[in-house]
Amino acid sequence: MKKIFNILVLVIVILFNFNSFAEEKNYHKELITDWSRIFPDQNRNAAGPKFFKYIIDKKITYKDFVEFNKLYCAVSGSLIDPDSEPDFLFVNESETDMKICGNYYKCCIPCSCDIMKYSKVQKMKYKFVDGIKEFFVFTIKNPCNKNDFPNRVNKDYFCDGKKINDKQVYNLNDQIVIGLLHDGRNCNKDEIDYVKSHQVTGRYCELRNNTPLENLDAGMGDIFIKLAR
Amino acid sequence: MNFLKKIIVLSILMSPNIVNADFFEDISNKIVNNPKRLSYGISVADIDQNEKYEFIVTGFGYPNLALSYDKGKLINVVGQKIFSDEFRKTIGVAACDVDRDGYEEIYFLNTDTYSGAKKYSDRLIDFEGNKFLDMFEIEKNKKELNLTAGRSVACVDRKGNGEYGLYVSNYGGPTRFYEIEDNKIKDKSADLNLDKVTGGRAVVSGHILTDRSDIFAANERGANFLLKNNNGFFEDVAFDYRVDDVIQNGRGTTLSDILYRGRLDIISGNWQGYHRAYVLRDNQFKDIGNIKFDKPSRIRTIISADFDNDGYDEVFMNNIAEPNKLFRIKENGIFEEIILQTGLEPGGFGTGAAVADIDGDGILELLVSRGESKEQPLTLYKAKVKKDSKYLRVKPLNKYGAPARGATVTLITDQRKHSKTIDAGSGYLCQMEPVAHYGIRKNEKNFKLEVKWTNGKKKLINISELNKTITIKQK
Repeated sequence: MKKIFNILVLVIVILFNFNSFAEEKNYHKELITDWSRIFPDQNRNAAGPKFFKYIIDKKITYKDFVEFNKLYCAVSGSLIDPDSEPDFLFVNESETDMKICGNYYKCCIPCSCDIMKYSKVQKMKYKFVDGIKEFFVFTIKNPCNKNDFPNRVNKDYFCDGKKINDKQVYNLNDQIVIGLLHDGRNCNKDEIDYVKSHQVTGRYCELRNNTPLENLDAGMGDIFIKLAR
Repeated sequence: MNFLKKIIVLSILMSPNIVNADFFEDISNKIVNNPKRLSYGISVADIDQNEKYEFIVTGFGYPNLALSYDKGKLINVVGQKIFSDEFRKTIGVAACDVDRDGYEEIYFLNTDTYSGAKKYSDRLIDFEGNKFLDMFEIEKNKKELNLTAGRSVACVDRKGNGEYGLYVSNYGGPTRFYEIEDNKIKDKSADLNLDKVTGGRAVVSGHILTDRSDIFAANERGANFLLKNNNGFFEDVAFDYRVDDVIQNGRGTTLSDILYRGRLDIISGNWQGYHRAYVLRDNQFKDIGNIKFDKPSRIRTIISADFDNDGYDEVFMNNIAEPNKLFRIKENGIFEEIILQTGLEPGGFGTGAAVADIDGDGILELLVSRGESKEQPLTLYKAKVKKDSKYLRVKPLNKYGAPARGATVTLITDQRKHSKTIDAGSGYLCQMEPVAHYGIRKNEKNFKLEVKWTNGKKKLINISELNKTITIKQK
C-alpha cells in the first residue's frame, strides 16, 4: 500500500514538473513574427485568405490549424487578440443552402454581419500531420472578374488574371477560402433562434445589412463587401 | 521515509525556472541630493578626463547630471549650463571619441516634441580646458543641427579606423549620421543611404553580422533595420534575417551572447509586445525567448550584464508603471526568471537604466532613471554577491586611446566562450560603461581573452590573475 502511495506521489510530482517545463506554442507570436512574410507589401486589407493559405501550408497538426485560425479576422485581415471571444453565428452552405452554425473569431462586430451576409461555407477535407480532418470554411466567389474590385485590396493576392491565384490563396471549388468556421455543424432551431435574437448577430446585423453600401462607416466599410458580393 | 525525501529533493531539482532569493540591495541612499525629477537616458563615460567614469543622467526639463563616485557617495560634479541645460529636455545620450583626441564627446539628444520637427537641437559636448562646449554651436556646424524629434543615439565606427560617427534615431523624420569631416560636423546619412523616415526608438552597433560595426535599430510603426556593414556602407537586411518585426513597436535593445558561444546576438524588447531573444542560426535570427521572457510589458531599457558575478549574464527589463523583471541566461539559452523584491519598482516610472562598477569594487551598480509622467528620484542597486566571487574586467582602448565602443571582448575558458560588446549606445536612450565585465564561474580555469577591434582584427591574451581591470590598447 505504502509502495503504491509513493509511486503515485512520484508520478504526480513528475507530471506537475513536466507541465511546468513544457513550453506552450505561441501561435499569436508566430503570426506576428511572420506577418511581413504573409503580407510583403504590408497591405492586409480583406486579406483573411492570405492568413488561411499561409496557415494551411504549414506542416502542422489539426489542433495547431484550429488555434492559428482563431487569431485573424477572415473579413478584415486584422490580427486578433489571443484572448478574444468568438461570435456564434450561422452562414449558408454554398451547395445545400442549409444554415451551418459555428464560432467566428472577428476583429470587430460589423465583421460578423458581413461574413453572415456575404460569405458561404463549404465542407473541406485536409490531411494534417496527425491525419485527415473535415471542417467547414468560409468562402467567397471568385472576385477576379469584377469591374469594381476594391482598389484598397491587393488584387495580386487574390487573382492571377481572371483566375483565382492558387499560389497566394486557397481555392476550393473555384471559391476563395477566407477563414475557418470553428465548431461548424448543421444548426438546430434553437441555435438559429439564438443567432437571430442576439443583440449583435440579430439586431445589429439587421440594421447594418439594410444600410446602403455608401453609408457604411464601421468595420472594413465597403472594402470586403465590394470584394465578396 | 527515505523515498519521500528523494521525491522532495527531486521536486526541488525539477522545479520551474524561477529563483526567489532577493537579488538586489537598494543603495539609492548613496546618491547625494536625489530629488524627484523627470530623468531619461543614462550613459557612462569619463566626462572630465580624470580616468574615472561618471553616470551621465539626462533630465527632461531638469538638469543633466554627471554623478561621480567620491568617498562612498554619488554626487553631481557638473554645474556648467551648457551641460546641465535643463530647458532643452534631453532624453537620449551616448558618448564616444568623435574628434579623435582620445577623449569621449557626449551627444545629448533633445526632444521637446513627440514626433517630427522640434524647437531645440541636440548638443555634442566636448571638454576643453576645464570647460564644456557644444560643437554644434560653432558657426561652421550650425547648418547640420538635428531639428527632428528623436530617441536614441549610437556611436558607429563604420570604417573601423577609430573615426566614430553618430547614428541618431529620429522619430517622424530622417535618421541622421554625423561624422567629423574636414574639421566640421557633417550629416552623412543621405550618402550612406541611412536617411530613412521611421519611428526610431533604439539603436545598437557592434559585431552583429560582420567583422565591422553593424547596426540594429528597433523602430516603432515600421520595420526594424538591420544594417550590415559593407566596407563602411550599409545594407538593410532585417527582412532576410527575420528581425524586421514590422507590426511590433521596438524599445529596449541590447547585444548579448545568449548562447555563450563567442558571438553577439540581439535582445529586443517591444512596447506591450513580445520581447525577442534573437539568436543567429543558418543566416537567420531565431527568437528563442521562452513564455516568461517574451511576455508583453511596458518595456523601456533592457540590460544584459553579470550583476552577481556568477559567470552567467542577467537580463534586466526596466518597465514603466509596471514591475521590472530579471532573468538569468543559463546554458543553451534558457531564461530563468529571478523574482525581484528589491528593484521591482511596481510603482516606478522607469525611463532608463545603465550599469557601471562606479565604486571600483568589482561588482556592477545599476542606476535606474525614472520620470515621464511622474517625477521620481533615481534608484541605485547592487547585487548581493557571494563573498568568494571573482571577476575580470576588460577595458579596450582604440588607437587614439579612447574607449573602443563597438569592439567585442570574448572570455575563453574551459567552460565558456563568452562575448560582450563595448557598448556603443544607446539600446534605448542609454549606454553602459565601456568595459566588459565578467563574473567567474565555479571551478572555471584556463582564462584567455580575445578582443575584436572595430576593424575586425583580433588580439588574444592569456590571463593569469583575476579580480582586476585589464586595459588593452589597440596598436
